[in-house]
Amino acid sequence: MILRLLSAALAAGFLAAVVATGLQVALTSPLIIEAERYESGTAHSAALPLVPARFEGALLHLAHGGESHDHGAPAWQPGEGLPRILFTGLATLVGGVGYALLLGAVMLALGRDPTPERALAFAVAGFVSVGLAPALGLPPELPGSEAAPLATRQAWWLMTALATGMGLYLIAIRRAAVTILGGLVLIVAPHIAGAPEVAAAKSELPAGLAAQFAARSLAVGFVFWAVIGLSFGWAWQVFGRERPARA
Amino acid sequence: MTTQVQTLGATRTNERLGAVVLAAFFGLGLVFMAGFAPAQALHNAAHDFRHTQNFPCH
Repeated sequence: MILRLLSAALAAGFLAAVVATGLQVALTSPLIIEAERYESGTAHSAALPLVPARFEGALLHLAHGGESHDHGAPAWQPGEGLPRILFTGLATLVGGVGYALLLGAVMLALGRDPTPERALAFAVAGFVSVGLAPALGLPPELPGSEAAPLATRQAWWLMTALATGMGLYLIAIRRAAVTILGGLVLIVAPHIAGAPEVAAAKSELPAGLAAQFAARSLAVGFVFWAVIGLSFGWAWQVFGRERPARA
Repeated sequence: MTTQVQTLGATRTNERLGAVVLAAFFGLGLVFMAGFAPAQALHNAAHDFRHTQNFPCH
């Protein structure tokens, strides 16, 4: 069963990464590169050595919480063009396999046999938990539009994703009056507590660019999860057929 | 016969538990690496993915 789960997650992560990388390169990466141009104030589109120049001193230290950081030597980053696309693809693959493993773990833990339909339903719940719900408080950001310190935003993101996932579980799977009520409270609570403030952020970025990025980013995220779900269910069934004794 | 079936059931449950724990462990590790790891090189490599998938970035 371990082998079946690992192989299905690898296959699903790979397929989802192929689709999502294509979408990222076509839809979101051009906007990121465009935003970096505003961030640096030049036509130069290098990604990160520009960040220290923009966020001097304190904010940078907050944002990178206690990490020892050599400002003198710029950190390694992939070259523009193909290397950048390849590393984006690699990161998408790592993230996709990770999400697929978590999807499989949750489905097996709940005793649900992953068919494509069921895995798709769980994947949509995954998208709502880690994509949609955190985006309500922390809309997908372009480089150069960040506000609150990174650690705070990551903590709120994690808390919201966990609370939403748990809430969906209580509502959709436990389905008792009490658990539905508890689930609703869990889903709503992070938003009442409030995300780290973004309203005060000032940015040179045109609002249209940021809005387009937010919408496209959610769309790419949804497709990413949908492909993970469908192909995980498909691969789980296929690998089960090949090794019926181990299923 | 009954004993055999029960043993098989228990093995299945243990196997499933093992698979769940292992997959959750690796899954969290991979998602952390792609989405949260603070190392500059990892951050830069995963930069566009993090922005698109709405992980808090820089």
